[in-house]
Amino acid sequence: MYIELHACSAFSFLKGASLPEDLIEACANLNMPAMALLDRDGVYGSPRFHMAAKKAKIKAHIGAEITCQAFSPQSAVEGCLCGEFRLPLLAASRLGYQNLCRLITRMKLRAAKGEGTAQEEDLDEYAGGLICLTGGDDGPFAHALAHGGMDQARLRTEQLAGIFGRNNVYVELQRHFHREQEARNRAAIEISRSLRLPLLATNGVSYASPRDRELCDVFTALRHHRTLTTAGRLLARNSERHVKSPKEMRELFADLPEAIANTMELSSRLKFTLKDLGYEFPKYPVPQGETMMSFLRERTREGFQQRYGRAEAELQDRARRQIERELKLIEKLELAGYFLIVWDLIRFARDENILVQGRGSAANSAVCYSLGITAVDPVRMDLLFERFLSEERGEWPDIDLDLPSGDQRERVIQYLYRRYGERGAAMTANVITYRSRMAGREMGKALGFDPETLEKVSAAVSNWEYRDANDAFDRRFRDAGLDLNHPRLRKYFELCVAVQDLPRHLGQHSGGMVICQGQLDSVVPLEPASMPGRVVVQWDKEDCADLGIIKVDLLGLGMMAVLEESLHLIRHHYREDVSLAHLPADDPSVYSTLQKADTIGMFQIESRAQMSCLPRLRPKKFYDIVVQVAIIRPGPIVGQMVNPYLQRRQGREQVSYPHPSLQPVLERTLGVPLFQEQLLRIAMVAANFSGGEAEELRRAMGFKRSQARMKEIEARLRQGMQQNGLSQEAQEQIILSITSFALYGFPESHAASFALIAYASAYLKCHYLAAFTAALLNNQPMGFYHPSTIVKDAQRHGLKVRPIAVMQSEWNCTLEAALPSPFALRLGLRYARGLREEAGQALVRQRQLAPFVSIRDLVHRVPELRKDELHTLAEIGALNSGSSFEFPVSSEKQKQLPRFARNDNEVNDPHPLTTSHSKNLKLHRRDALWQVERAVRRSGPLLDALPEPDSQSPLRPMNQEERLVADFRGTGLTVGPHPMAYHRARMNAIGIRMASELRGIPNGKYLRVGGCVIARQRPGTAKGFVFLSLEDETGVANAIIAPDLFQKNRLLLSSEQFLMVEGILQNQDNVISVKAARVAPLSITHAPTESHDFH
Amino acid sequence: MSYACIFVPDFPVEAILRAEPELRSRPLAVLEGKAPLEKVFAANASAIRAGVSAGMTRPQVEACPNLILRTRSSLREAAAHAALLDCAQSFSPGVEDTRCDTLVLDLDGLQSLFGPLPKIARALARRACDLGLETHVAVASNPDAAVLVARGFSGATVIDPGKEAEILGRLPVEVLLGSAENEDSAPLSETFHRWGIRDLRELAALPDVALSERLGETGIHLQKLARGAVSRALVPVEPPLVFEEAVELEYPVMLLEPLAFLLDRLLQQICARLNARSLATQELRLELELVNGYAEEIATDNGRTPLTRPCRAQTRQVFRRILRLPVPLLDARTFLKLLQLDLKAHPPGAPIVKIHLAAEPAKSRAAQSGLFVPASPEPEKLELTLARIAGIVGEDKVGSLELLDTHRPEGFRMMRFGCGEREGKSSRAGTRSGNSKIEDLSARLKSCPSPSLPFPPCVTQHCSEDLVTALRIFRPPVGITVTVHEGKPTMIACTKRREIHGEILWTAGPWRSTGDWWEQTGWAREEWDVAVQAETNIVLYRLVRDLLRGDWFVEGSYD
Repeated sequence: MYIELHACSAFSFLKGASLPEDLIEACANLNMPAMALLDRDGVYGSPRFHMAAKKAKIKAHIGAEITCQAFSPQSAVEGCLCGEFRLPLLAASRLGYQNLCRLITRMKLRAAKGEGTAQEEDLDEYAGGLICLTGGDDGPFAHALAHGGMDQARLRTEQLAGIFGRNNVYVELQRHFHREQEARNRAAIEISRSLRLPLLATNGVSYASPRDRELCDVFTALRHHRTLTTAGRLLARNSERHVKSPKEMRELFADLPEAIANTMELSSRLKFTLKDLGYEFPKYPVPQGETMMSFLRERTREGFQQRYGRAEAELQDRARRQIERELKLIEKLELAGYFLIVWDLIRFARDENILVQGRGSAANSAVCYSLGITAVDPVRMDLLFERFLSEERGEWPDIDLDLPSGDQRERVIQYLYRRYGERGAAMTANVITYRSRMAGREMGKALGFDPETLEKVSAAVSNWEYRDANDAFDRRFRDAGLDLNHPRLRKYFELCVAVQDLPRHLGQHSGGMVICQGQLDSVVPLEPASMPGRVVVQWDKEDCADLGIIKVDLLGLGMMAVLEESLHLIRHHYREDVSLAHLPADDPSVYSTLQKADTIGMFQIESRAQMSCLPRLRPKKFYDIVVQVAIIRPGPIVGQMVNPYLQRRQGREQVSYPHPSLQPVLERTLGVPLFQEQLLRIAMVAANFSGGEAEELRRAMGFKRSQARMKEIEARLRQGMQQNGLSQEAQEQIILSITSFALYGFPESHAASFALIAYASAYLKCHYLAAFTAALLNNQPMGFYHPSTIVKDAQRHGLKVRPIAVMQSEWNCTLEAALPSPFALRLGLRYARGLREEAGQALVRQRQLAPFVSIRDLVHRVPELRKDELHTLAEIGALNSGSSFEFPVSSEKQKQLPRFARNDNEVNDPHPLTTSHSKNLKLHRRDALWQVERAVRRSGPLLDALPEPDSQSPLRPMNQEERLVADFRGTGLTVGPHPMAYHRARMNAIGIRMASELRGIPNGKYLRVGGCVIARQRPGTAKGFVFLSLEDETGVANAIIAPDLFQKNRLLLSSEQFLMVEGILQNQDNVISVKAARVAPLSITHAPTESHDFH
Repeated sequence: MSYACIFVPDFPVEAILRAEPELRSRPLAVLEGKAPLEKVFAANASAIRAGVSAGMTRPQVEACPNLILRTRSSLREAAAHAALLDCAQSFSPGVEDTRCDTLVLDLDGLQSLFGPLPKIARALARRACDLGLETHVAVASNPDAAVLVARGFSGATVIDPGKEAEILGRLPVEVLLGSAENEDSAPLSETFHRWGIRDLRELAALPDVALSERLGETGIHLQKLARGAVSRALVPVEPPLVFEEAVELEYPVMLLEPLAFLLDRLLQQICARLNARSLATQELRLELELVNGYAEEIATDNGRTPLTRPCRAQTRQVFRRILRLPVPLLDARTFLKLLQLDLKAHPPGAPIVKIHLAAEPAKSRAAQSGLFVPASPEPEKLELTLARIAGIVGEDKVGSLELLDTHRPEGFRMMRFGCGEREGKSSRAGTRSGNSKIEDLSARLKSCPSPSLPFPPCVTQHCSEDLVTALRIFRPPVGITVTVHEGKPTMIACTKRREIHGEILWTAGPWRSTGDWWEQTGWAREEWDVAVQAETNIVLYRLVRDLLRGDWFVEGSYD
């Protein structure tokens, strides 16, 4: 028997070419009982390797190839061996694994991202429990032999024996049918015999099967920044580094049977697997005399008083019982420390006035609610605790916290680092894998395509969600003007397909953090992230969860930032203190707005699909919003739940239940399962599953689904339902719901958390439109719509939006006093495209010191502004005299100016720079451009100092079309009339209706609508139908394009900015759309309007 | 002063149409680039109407019905340009070759010869049309105004003096920015666009000083151009320096010796003329007119480009040879010897009645030997020696090896042997690069056969460090028949070389290598080192198996 003890996977990043699962599969196919994974400088792939091996009942040995700086004790005498080699190390015991993690952490953290080498003294320190091999082509033995011959090779082997112990060094032999390798093997055999060290045969596996060699070569070329043609001998000589069968290996080493036998012997010595990780739950420091559990009980009791203190007795009773049940389980599972850590985090955020709200399954826990982690009352809403935590599942709770994206979230992250130390907390990794576009680009690069072709071929990979037969790869290639029959392009295509989902590099997860009281580096290696001050573990979120490492997700939610900023603006301008916790629960204006689907900018309920559901669902209370948030999800859509629910809600269909026993579970949702919890409860009620079993069912059906496992559980489910007397039809319906929901459904708790935010966003939009819109614009990109749509929507709701002006605008959008409405919104400098924040902030600073008196003054006082930035400001009218330079500067103010804010002449001139102001010139955009061109042209120190007032130019003012083009080009939006407004007369003449008219037109009428395309969608669940949103000056009209019409007009529909759609008006329960029969382009403007496409 | 400009719109298309006039009425697109990534470079009006635009790829335009596709041809463009020059020079001696598609003629004094200016303009257009080119012709009082008008207006346009600004004013500003001398002023296009300047009239109307403050000298120059007020002298095309000599013979020459005598005389004359202008030559073109219809055409190229194969062309009676030299030389005796050697290797094959010899002028070589630079042979002598060797072994077998960075065995190419490295660049750099090549070569040779390799892996063989096993490569490899048992060769036999025959006593290997899988020329091979029992002794061979075809070869034998 033979065991492969030196394999690397694609997690060696651009070295190995197979996933760990593929290596295990190859291993299983060849009946190899174990395998060792040694990825380069890390254990990135080990969790997946371990999990796959567990399933295949194969023993997964863990190790790593460590990049070492060449060392030599005789360096002073004999000359130092330069360069690096990779030292293969295998973890024999948990101590060995911990040492390996610490060794990697040390070498990684002292170098820049992606670099780092181990020194001899590091190996000395962390040698315990590790077994060392002498390596392959880039191993220590080959390195010494190549640089110093037999003597150095012997010396290096002796050194390794000295560091790791004579019993822990194996002299490695590999046979890939290379002459030079065989020569090295002979030297290795000789040295091993003279030093009495055991020989070990390995195949230095880099991929699962011989055909993967091509990808391995591509990776080699990419790693060396070469093309395949120029990589030359850097590429592999042949395809022999695949997983070979024990028989093949025995034949290959027929002359050295002991080298094969030793693989079994060494495998039996490697006791460590990731099952034995040794991760301990974090501890939370508690006062003297307290245990973590008692401390948690006390905090929960305090929270209970706050949350339920004034509740009715029955609810209090239920809550108390629930909390007690949860606390018992928490105690049993020893999770008190974890809850306290999250509680502590929430406390910090509250103290720092950072909005925070738990989401996900944590909202099912009454303890979390009492501790203030979540905002939804699970007892009142009767949420299922087992969805969050259960004993049977053997998994740990997952608490996700929503924080305002940006600086606030960063402060919370840094707090965690500070509190738990560098080795105690780290971000989880995000493994960046090859997806269509990146695969296209990199494979093309390796094949030597020029940049232009690369762009073309990678763009050929469409990002349409829905793929039909016309979306086949070759068709997309042809559309991009490329012939897939050409051999090189065919090879390119094959490589693109083969590389899909292989890891490319390690990123940082947006919010997942793992905490482990000061010893995280013995559980998993840590490495620096590209962001300064951040440390990342080598595993991603899923891996951490698989290995039972508890994590907290600190998710940056754009809407949280919007809410927080809105509250700040309301406090500052409206002088009102609005608290999200105390918003009026059933504000009629909010519900009336929702019923009209007037929801642009609101959280989770603004998409076209949501809008088309709102008038049918007609939310009247908070729970309706919870349903609304959850119902437009692939789960309910695929599970065919949406229509039955809406029909029943509108009283058009009778409420019925698959089985009377399910009535309590489905009553709230009118007999239609909409939430994951309901499916869990169905399994519990209808098929007698326990809570934990039900959650296990959800996971089995979920992301990492296995056919065998699904079948097994489905059988159990059917058996249970049969026992309980459910009809065959009901059984089928339940199975369909579970399979479609498990993957794409929302837990009710999560929907409730989101609904809270959705309600808050709707409330703020209804009552504080100016503040909400400003905050929304300041936190872009987010949500479904482009800023231009948000601005137009706000304008239609009566908000006055003012353009960017250097004399008034801050970096962010701000509020200004306006009549008759209380506030107008001033666009911030951030909306001037290409203007760097550094320059924008410098401009604001200088203006605060003293207003600018001319464009020349602006250019001189804000040297940070580049020529192109000034051009943009002038083009968008930010330098127009009418709005900016008409403030006369009083002589008093002049005197207050610091000296550096004035030029030398101003000091000596008794009448400084007032000429233009006295005339109060009205400069138009081209005047400003004319002035800018003069001002940026330095005329030398003598003339530069001369004041030059703004003056009119010989250029003619921009016409309306030119202004539109400049606005869209320079800011992406216009605060002036909608482009369609300029052409209304023409539109009327050709019978194009306004969006606002459609509500009053009867269903079934044939008509025309037209406007700017603001969204194009082709959802995976819509069978190729395309949904267009067309905006005009009165609102948004929706159009539905059937697949055949889309195919006929593919280019037009994909690229045209303004469209006319002709067809039958459909008005079903106030959901209005036009079913297109014909589409045509509209000639409105050349302004580059933008659309959010293909979500 | 009057100047005419001839402008050929869509020049690459016109160059094709000139050669294939039957395509003029059909949509035509000219492609540029290498397959499969060719893109449209230019298209005629009917192709543009059909939706073709520059930058589209071949598969994209192939969908366009009736569209004719042609590859851009530099030869045709050069010919079209030459024709255009001929056309212009047939009217005026003062012709400026402004761009490949634009020529300017000085018309001063031509009215008495050709008639009034409109007539000359029309005649120019007609003459160009006769040569197969559709052109715009404009006549103005200064060259730049003529160029702008020709670019902007079709047909023949004559501008009366003083009317330049008025006529030019109608042209869009892009015409000005797209003209030859303003190629670098692309950023100005953006500025004018921002300012809303659409035509030359608007540009001309801007105040001079203010414009100068904003756009500097360039702006003022452009404004003057827009006003048609730039006055400059033409830069006429200089007639090319031609060094050609020819002799017609009363009696056909049949032997090389009398031909050499004649060639010597011609070479002396050419060298004297070159010498008079302090020039040398790097290329000699010999044309021999033959008596009968037999001709052979071949290019002698000692450089990197591959040699073209000799071809027989029964219809032509001219025998041509081109002698390209590594450095400019001016030595009639060397030239003669080189020509003699070349003709000896490539005889014309028929009696000669006319000799035409031309030399491409080049600047003389200026070289100074360095004190520490090793002496190298004179380029002249080296060239002669190489030519002699090439005459014996064949031209493609002379040069120096350059190893290719590949695992493919025999991965090398022949480079022209020369001492250029030592001449031009610093000697140190040259030596270093030479050394690195030598190191690379020796490293690779070292890594090839190992002394212990002929022995099977199971035999422990201690070889002393200084034992060297040499491999004698058979070129070409010898095809053999191999008997294989359990994946190992056991017996070999060769029909061509009977001594390669016998039972295999032991083997080492296989040594496998595969590569270039992304090319159509992918390869895969397996090497075995075998010991064969010959009649009297044991012989060690290297066997090679082509894994793609399955053929076996003996690649060499070990000493």
